Amino acid sequence: MLIRLEDVYYTYETEGIEALRGVSLQIQEGEHLAIIGPNGCGKTTLIRHLNALLLPARGNVTVDGLKTDHPKHQAEIRAQIGMVFQNPDHQIVGMTVEEDVAFGPENLRLPSDEIKKRVTEAMSRAGIAKLAGRGIENLSGGEKRLVAIAGVLAMRPRFIALDEPTAFLDPAAAGRVLDMIDRLHAEGVGIIHITHNMAEAALTQRVVVMREGRILLDGTPPEIFGKAAMLKQSGMQLPQITELLLELKEAGWPVRTDIVHMKDALDQIIALTGKKQG
Amino acid sequence: MYHTGSFIRGRSLVHRLDPRVKLSAALVFSIFILWVKPSLALASGVILLFPVLISDISLRTLVQAIKPLLFLIVLIFMVHVFFSDGSGEAPGGQTFHGLSFSRTGFQEAFWVVWRFLCLMVAAILLTMTTAPSQMIAAVKYFLKPLKKVRVPVDELAVMLLLALKLMPILLTEKERIETAQKSRGYDASRSGWVTRLKSFSHLTSKILTGVFRRADELALAMDARNFRRGERSSLAELKLTSSDYIVMGLLIFFLIIFVALNSHFG
Repeated sequence: MLIRLEDVYYTYETEGIEALRGVSLQIQEGEHLAIIGPNGCGKTTLIRHLNALLLPARGNVTVDGLKTDHPKHQAEIRAQIGMVFQNPDHQIVGMTVEEDVAFGPENLRLPSDEIKKRVTEAMSRAGIAKLAGRGIENLSGGEKRLVAIAGVLAMRPRFIALDEPTAFLDPAAAGRVLDMIDRLHAEGVGIIHITHNMAEAALTQRVVVMREGRILLDGTPPEIFGKAAMLKQSGMQLPQITELLLELKEAGWPVRTDIVHMKDALDQIIALTGKKQG
Repeated sequence: MYHTGSFIRGRSLVHRLDPRVKLSAALVFSIFILWVKPSLALASGVILLFPVLISDISLRTLVQAIKPLLFLIVLIFMVHVFFSDGSGEAPGGQTFHGLSFSRTGFQEAFWVVWRFLCLMVAAILLTMTTAPSQMIAAVKYFLKPLKKVRVPVDELAVMLLLALKLMPILLTEKERIETAQKSRGYDASRSGWVTRLKSFSHLTSKILTGVFRRADELALAMDARNFRRGERSSLAELKLTSSDYIVMGLLIFFLIIFVALNSHFG
């Protein structure tokens, strides 16, 4: 399965904001992709094009060869690409957890038995099986986020696009959400992940950097975070590990700065200092 | 957070009954309580206590649910006390601040409030013991014949779900704005009526803006989850069990007895 955007333009007519200006991008089946960039750079607009919530003013978006602007393709595309919104309160339709998770399969007109099966499976994959009958208003922010993800999983999508899935969560809840995203990716689900957290972006396979409605950079995390000056110029931060290595380099240490994982950074520092305990 | 009429999960017989049986019973009871003679209305209200007691819903919760409508109950009572004509009563009724009231007025007010309370308890019992998805499945079941005359039954069911969801959202939004006002020093009890009026209009416009924004986002989220006009399937599976048949039998039995008694005393 392939998602392809070709020279996509989009303008919010009422505000007169040109949110996308000639975006071209290809996303392969099973890929784990992070989209980063300052506020208002078009990240959310971009992912809303992937499952036909927004349609390009110019250019094309195709999913497995199906054009998103063709009304007959939209149901199929939306079943294949799940969307998790930034604020779960704006996404949750049901009044209890299992009712909300069932909303998607009900729209797919599946029989009751199949809906039950999918709801149980999705809640279990999201680690919220014990919340099944709970009222939505009694859940914490982290739990609501997991319910929103389970609601998408119940449609068994091949891709999930998540808009800042760890925003407003405490570290423990954010960790649970990230663990789940990793599990889904390991199961073969493609992940498109908008984030402002560079450490999260560093853990993906590919990072796309956006600025003013355009794609500025596209590459693996080491390739992207190796271009520190360019990122900083665009108002973005770097992962703390990259920052540390840059500081060491500035202090005269001969370190590589295109490293984004803690283990690789430690190996490099240990190799340079020649000291290793145990 | 608890809101009037929220579903409370439970395993009682009332919870387990088919939603179609509960919905029909509540509807029949509501028509019945408004139609029968006062003494039978009293007996019906007493009988209503039985499902309440076996429903796992505490009386405290029930009272809490009725509380927000207390003002309306008092208003109904006062209107009937002071504005019923008291015809057929001997002259010499009492007056209070220029308003006259009579024994008949009191009696009438009592029975109206009693019937109103019974209606409320029946509705609250129904919503507290029936999951929204079950309720919607039941409504859809009863409206199904209207599909033949092109009534969009599935859309109506979704609208009902969204309306049910909107209630707590409105209350939460109201609480959020009131807290924001208080945190910036606004105290309704110390303000004059002009300030209160201004604050009320500000509150209303803020709530409406917030709700419209939420509605836009929700519509988008529903699209993202493949919501389309037309038929939808349902998680809730409607199946009548032996308890449902027993309850239906009991309901019909009581209905016949009460109708007979009502005509006998009429």
